[in-house]
Amino acid sequence: MRIRHSVLFWAGFCAIVALLAVAPLGLPKFWAGFLTEILIWGLLAMSSDILIGYVGLVSFGHSAFFGLGMYGAAAALLTVSPPSLWVALPYGLVASAAVAACVAYFSTRLRDIYFAITTLIFSQIFYVIIFTWTEVTGGENGLTFSRPRLDFPGLFSVPFTTETLHWFVLAVVVLSYLILRRITQSPFGMVLQSIRENEARTRAIGYPIERYKIVAVMLSGLFAGLAGVLYAVQNRFASPDFVFFLVSGEVVIFNVIGGIGTLVGPIVGAAFFLLLREVLSRFFTEFYLIPVGIIFIAMVIFMPQGLLGFARRWLNR
Amino acid sequence: MTPLLKVEDIHTYYGKSHILHGISLEVGRGEVVGLLGRNGVGKSTTLKAIAGLVHPSAGQIVFDGRPIAGLPAYRLARLGIAYVPEDRRIFPLLTITENLRTGLDRHGVGKARKQELLDKVYAYFPVLAERRNQAGGTLSGGEQQMLAIARAMMLEPQIILLDEPTEGLMPRMVSQIREIIEVLHQEGVAVLLVEQNVPLTLDASERVYLIEKGVVRHHAASAELRADDAVIHQYMGV
Amino acid sequence: MGLDAFFAAIPFDQLLIQTVNGIVTGMILALVASGLTLIFGIMDVVNFAHGELFMLGAYVGVLTLAATGNFWVALVCASLLIALLGAVIHLTTLRPLIGRDPLTTILATFGLSLVLQNYALWQFGPVARKIQEPFTGQFAFFYLQYPWYRLVIAGLAAAIIAALWLFLKFGTYGIWIRATTQDRVMAEAMGIPVPWVLTAVFAIGAGMAAASGVLFGPLVGVNHAMGLDWVLRAFIVVVVGGMGNLGGSILAAIFISLLEAYASLFVPPSQAVIVSFVVLILTLLFRPTGLFVPTPK
Repeated sequence: MRIRHSVLFWAGFCAIVALLAVAPLGLPKFWAGFLTEILIWGLLAMSSDILIGYVGLVSFGHSAFFGLGMYGAAAALLTVSPPSLWVALPYGLVASAAVAACVAYFSTRLRDIYFAITTLIFSQIFYVIIFTWTEVTGGENGLTFSRPRLDFPGLFSVPFTTETLHWFVLAVVVLSYLILRRITQSPFGMVLQSIRENEARTRAIGYPIERYKIVAVMLSGLFAGLAGVLYAVQNRFASPDFVFFLVSGEVVIFNVIGGIGTLVGPIVGAAFFLLLREVLSRFFTEFYLIPVGIIFIAMVIFMPQGLLGFARRWLNR
Repeated sequence: MTPLLKVEDIHTYYGKSHILHGISLEVGRGEVVGLLGRNGVGKSTTLKAIAGLVHPSAGQIVFDGRPIAGLPAYRLARLGIAYVPEDRRIFPLLTITENLRTGLDRHGVGKARKQELLDKVYAYFPVLAERRNQAGGTLSGGEQQMLAIARAMMLEPQIILLDEPTEGLMPRMVSQIREIIEVLHQEGVAVLLVEQNVPLTLDASERVYLIEKGVVRHHAASAELRADDAVIHQYMGV
Repeated sequence: MGLDAFFAAIPFDQLLIQTVNGIVTGMILALVASGLTLIFGIMDVVNFAHGELFMLGAYVGVLTLAATGNFWVALVCASLLIALLGAVIHLTTLRPLIGRDPLTTILATFGLSLVLQNYALWQFGPVARKIQEPFTGQFAFFYLQYPWYRLVIAGLAAAIIAALWLFLKFGTYGIWIRATTQDRVMAEAMGIPVPWVLTAVFAIGAGMAAASGVLFGPLVGVNHAMGLDWVLRAFIVVVVGGMGNLGGSILAAIFISLLEAYASLFVPPSQAVIVSFVVLILTLLFRPTGLFVPTPK
């Protein structure tokens, strides 16, 4: 039974990855890029799921990690020549990890609502810094830069096209998923989940809760930063808009819509949200957030397990 | 005559665990009825279900001729069911007068009547009168118990549900509680008394229900049980 | 540098002006935050949409002012209308969440803030509207002509907060509210209609936010995004003051506004916000229960 289940899982997994891999070949350019963007936002949402779904901490600060990933990549692409993907990645990751360490140190002393507010305010601190420090960050206008090449030294070096970028992003997202899945199923992941279920008891057993939470926040921030680097490479700019807390809010929305604690759910949520936005914004122009907000509220009230949980229950019937 | 309160075969769950397995009991108008049993057999849950704080998944509760299961607790309080919980649950930051006013400030109670009710409980409980402007949280355990009962009396209830009123009190306080129950009885207020204190319960009540594992196992007049304590031994292990 | 030179370098006149400015914004912030605190204290709801209620209040003020020409009518109308909106919001989106994880209320009110903000953008457009202050008198204050209106705002905000306090302290419904905050289950057992008390508190908080929006409107102009800024600062105030602690929130509002006012002597106002962030972080580090509450035993 268990084995069959796991065979089914991996078969499904391979099929979906294969489908996503060939998709850009059959899709018009716009939708291929759109799919890449879904994957990037999905990665960001997945990183946030580590906290929401596994530790039970709702972070409103993921825009800061994401944004710092973007600006870190921007710094590398603008200052190091020739611009290289393999310099941009560590720059972005180090920047977001540093921010995550700082946020984690302060916010993990707090729980529930307090955690949400602290992370929110931290992301606003970074927003204000980035927004006002014009000489370095470009302020309101942000930074623009050119895309590096996709090169594996000694193997090949190609420019990023819609397709190669998509494949690269897909590879990173799939790899991240596998790593995060492994982590959540590891003993470490189990401790995180027991913190969510009963923090006091987990502490009583003797686990240093704060340390676990700090590591979880940093892990989450690191993957959010990775998403930021990918986004910077795709769009060739870094802008303070992405550090603003509304982006964090959208990430939380992705999670709730898709279903928390599933890792895949948030990607589904991101896809659903972005598609909804794409469709609705044709009817409601920039006011698409009105129907999106209403749908979101309805889902919080009536479908607390998200699309994935809902589908699962529906299938089990 | 129809009883004031009739509980018929109620079942409750706490999460997945089945707490009450079909409790049935009756309390007549102005009658004092005891509910005895070991810890954790569902006595408190029975009271909570009657007060509307726990909603039974099955069964009927009829109060004063109308079915009340499923009504919100605040409606039941207005109908005349007052609840005095085991842990008293005084509003700790409200003064004693304010604690009393939570039950007193209802629609349809005139100013004169309010004063009358206040004067009455302050006459019963001079300790509370002395400290009327002190925060409820500063009172001792016994004083808090008195305040909890006084607060319940503000609702001018037809029945008071008393959950272990003597728990943790000094003997002097226990006898005072016994007197209060007698006063309530004389005023025509019915009392459903949950207790561990067997002598007090047998002394104060007219009839007693013995509960075990969420069902009523035995039902008898208190006088009968006072004469023969074999049944009490069986269910209370004393 | 001698001591005399040091004192001479301090711009006392500017310092005093900023003190007055800080107290004025502090009172408005206190008005916003006390509604937020009340809502948090009684129902554990962090109301993300509070800033939007502030903003919508200001817009209702703009419209009624245009229709009636009377600022005070606009103030009252906006408060009542937004209080009503608050009640409707509570009934439709928050009541179904009673008994669920408090985090779900953050999510629901966040969704709500998106809806309300974009609704305002859709209805009123991106151009800021202006509320004309009810009187334009000024008095000489050092080298400035200082508008009387600002002082009146501070006074009015203080009066509204005082009225709230009196209501909570002595009113029957005030006792109901406090009893519900302290023990929701027992309040219900005492015949207090708790679900309606919660709705009423949400409405009161919404009405107070709307009143602050109208009062503050003349100083900055009204636009759809004005709520964001306020809700963040109100959150900071509520945490620094101690969650659910009304007196603490008021003190914290004034404290933080004063610090920001002084800071803006040296840095642009957009950076002065960082001061309040720093206060928040220090508070969380050293007194996580809030600056203005007695250390718990």
